[in-house]
Amino acid sequence: MLELVHLQVLSAALFSIGLYGVLARRSAVLVLISIELMLNAVNVNLIGLGAFADRPAESRVFGQILAIFVITISAAELGLAFAIILKLFRSRGSVNTDELNLMKW
Amino acid sequence: MNASLAFLAPALPACAFFVIVLFGRWLPRGGAPVAIAATAGAFVVFVITLLGMLSDGASAHSIRWFEVQGQATFTWGTVIDPLSVVMLGLVAFVALLIQVYSWSYMREERRFGWYFAVHSLFAAAMMALVLADNLILMYLAWELVGLGSYLLIGYWWEKRSAAEAAKKAFVTTRIGDVGLLIGIILLFKATGTFSISGVISAVETSQVTQPTLNWSLILIFLGAMGKSAQVPLHVWLPDAMEGPTPVSALIHAATMVAAGVYLVARLFPIFDAGSGILPMIAVVGLLTALVGAAMALVQTDLKRVLAYSTVSHLGFMMLALGAGSVGAAMFHLLAHAFAKAALFLGAGAFTHSTHQTDIRRMTGLLRGMRLTSIAFIASALSLAGIPPLAGFFSKDEILLAILDGHLGVVFLVFALIAVVLSALYTGRLLFVLFSSRPFVPEGDKAARGREGGAKAHAEPTPGESHAVPHEAPLLLLLPILILAVLGAVAGLLAFGWTGSYSGFGAYITLGHDKGFHIEPWLTALAFLLVAVALLQTWRSYISQSDPLRSATAVLAPARRLLERKLYFDTVYQWIVDRVVVTAAQVVGLVDRAVVNDKGIEGQGILVRYAGAAMRYLQTGMVYNYALGLALGAFFVAVVWWILS
Amino acid sequence: MTIQLLAFYAAAAVAIVGAMGVVLVPNVVVAGILLLATLLAIAGVFLVVFAEFLALTQVLIYGGAVTIVTLFAIMLTRTGELRVHLDNRQKPLAALVALGAFVLLSAAFLASEIPTRAAATSVATVGSAGGSTGFEYLGEALFTRWAVPFEIASLVLLVALIGAVILTRNGTPRDRA
Repeated sequence: MLELVHLQVLSAALFSIGLYGVLARRSAVLVLISIELMLNAVNVNLIGLGAFADRPAESRVFGQILAIFVITISAAELGLAFAIILKLFRSRGSVNTDELNLMKW
Repeated sequence: MNASLAFLAPALPACAFFVIVLFGRWLPRGGAPVAIAATAGAFVVFVITLLGMLSDGASAHSIRWFEVQGQATFTWGTVIDPLSVVMLGLVAFVALLIQVYSWSYMREERRFGWYFAVHSLFAAAMMALVLADNLILMYLAWELVGLGSYLLIGYWWEKRSAAEAAKKAFVTTRIGDVGLLIGIILLFKATGTFSISGVISAVETSQVTQPTLNWSLILIFLGAMGKSAQVPLHVWLPDAMEGPTPVSALIHAATMVAAGVYLVARLFPIFDAGSGILPMIAVVGLLTALVGAAMALVQTDLKRVLAYSTVSHLGFMMLALGAGSVGAAMFHLLAHAFAKAALFLGAGAFTHSTHQTDIRRMTGLLRGMRLTSIAFIASALSLAGIPPLAGFFSKDEILLAILDGHLGVVFLVFALIAVVLSALYTGRLLFVLFSSRPFVPEGDKAARGREGGAKAHAEPTPGESHAVPHEAPLLLLLPILILAVLGAVAGLLAFGWTGSYSGFGAYITLGHDKGFHIEPWLTALAFLLVAVALLQTWRSYISQSDPLRSATAVLAPARRLLERKLYFDTVYQWIVDRVVVTAAQVVGLVDRAVVNDKGIEGQGILVRYAGAAMRYLQTGMVYNYALGLALGAFFVAVVWWILS
Repeated sequence: MTIQLLAFYAAAAVAIVGAMGVVLVPNVVVAGILLLATLLAIAGVFLVVFAEFLALTQVLIYGGAVTIVTLFAIMLTRTGELRVHLDNRQKPLAALVALGAFVLLSAAFLASEIPTRAAATSVATVGSAGGSTGFEYLGEALFTRWAVPFEIASLVLLVALIGAVILTRNGTPRDRA
């Protein structure tokens, strides 16, 4: 029988993998991809709660609606982030985060 | 006729102050008519209050101001009894006359409206002081009086000496004011009330322990000493002559300097209850009377002679209080106020027309300014104690009070010496001032106004000083004459004329003091001494046949001592230069080394070192920051879970 | 073991393996393609719990747009060193933190006591007793109760679009003027 906790553990796994990618990857593009993974993990959780939470029928869709907003915002974020990365690449010739260390002492 | 309207007396001039300060520039003559109208209104209120008191007797009116729950109630209140009403009338009347006088005297001043505004503020504060029914309100008015005095003395603040004099007056009286405030608080702690009647009844029922009472009384008396220019806090009064002459007449003759005397008179039952306080007051008063009179002997600046004379007479008033006679003190206050105000206004008129402040250089006054001169002479003789002028009776009453009181015969002897001294300086003043030729004796350099005085009108020029002075305009003359007449005839108040009025002293103390009577031998002795002293000054200055001329050389050191103001100012200057400045330097050093270097800069240094150490956390690597973020979130989550 | 559960396990396995690949493979292009696989698998998970609209959206936006944009970004920014040093120096620490996060999150989910109900087993049971489908419910809620946030979200998209355009233009406006 499929239960909420299945989706939640999947969500936790995807989130942790995404977190690892964010922390461990050098390339800004890969960092962004990892962030997409984390956002999807959140979506899985939201959809799971919407489907399984013991709530009245009309509020059951809220999980999906929140997920729609998350997708929207992540699309916007992705577009801007890639624009910044392109700009960065043009001006500095690299998208490696360890070469972008101007913000330091 | 309702005595509860008395609060209007201070309220009207206070309103005038704000009106002039805020709207004066759009009012005719800078708003001065508003001030005069307000003071006249205050005088009308006095008349109403007086009639109300005569018909209904003494009363008190107060409304609640605010209350500290279970601690104290603060009120705005007036107390209407003979003491306060007499003072109210004196203040309102003298203030009104002096404002009329100033209308003419000050007309060429740039800050004409400001002068009247501050004048109104001062009058309002003074009337609030005499009417106050509780010590807090009284203290409030007391400080406002000090402020008004500061602003008036420093009216010509462009002149350095005037600004310095104002500062000196303020700081010197402040020394006393601090004592007054602490004394009031001590009394409050002991009795739980600020109300004057409440404090008095608490003291009379012995709710206050004797040491507490004594200390608070000494401190309160310190306040009175400051305001009433008692030795050793008298030094501000002569310097305060830097202010305009009408100001001197108002503040330094009739009102502010009387505040200290009034304070002691108002709280007299408490002072009476203290042990050894009254003799202390008497000693201070006697010392002040002697020192003031002696210093008046050597002054050459007209207003300074009058100032030291005022110091001396304030000493007499304190002496009377110390002898236990409120009636004598208040009577002398009244007589002195009228006479001294007339003298100051007269001095102003003389200066006005001769452009001189040095008594030795003024000539021809008797010929040119006959009315003013007569008024001046009458007032001066009144203060010297020539019958039947008011000063004669009031001085007599003080001597009688010393005789009847608990003070020893030593006090009487020294009081008589002070009386002789005042006759001497009066005689010197009159003969030098009104002789037909200028006195320019040896040591003329000093005469060029080393002391300054009220030179603001014009630096004396040789040509002008010999021109025949002319009578002052009517607006100047009228107040002088009125005050001189009052100063002359006020002695009539001393006697009990009708059944219900058994003499001023008995009336004002609500029967506490006995009626006035004449002790023939004492009166005769005092009069004889005064007459001899006056005769001696006549022989010294006019007839030139001075049998005591040989004594001049002997007395030269004493004269020098007096000319140097008995070194009071020197000692104070030394204290300020050495003690105060040294203390300030120590405090400054502590402030710089500890508060500033360690306390303020230390924080900056700490932050700088902390920043220098922690800046290495800023690697500039985005993934490091992300790791920090993740660890932080992890930490928060764990903590939250553990706590929940 | 129902079919629903089996389908979920299959989709989840693909998603997790794909995600691991995304963060581990040393080739950027492979990572991008693995991302596509992962996202499609997640769309499958959505389908399993009858969130069909979300599944479609996921396929359209992530599977289509995002992956393509990502691949474009990879291509546009590729330098010579495509395969070397894709990971930075804090890799071990990152693994530790990620593992910790997984343990913590799983523990929290397992410990949570959210009241649940049986999952829908068919499209018909997703909606209310009235028989309407999930689509209807979603549309109704989105355009009535959530209309204002919806419009704001579209505004955010517009702003992001304009921002992206301005950011990627060549040079500054002053240069061209």
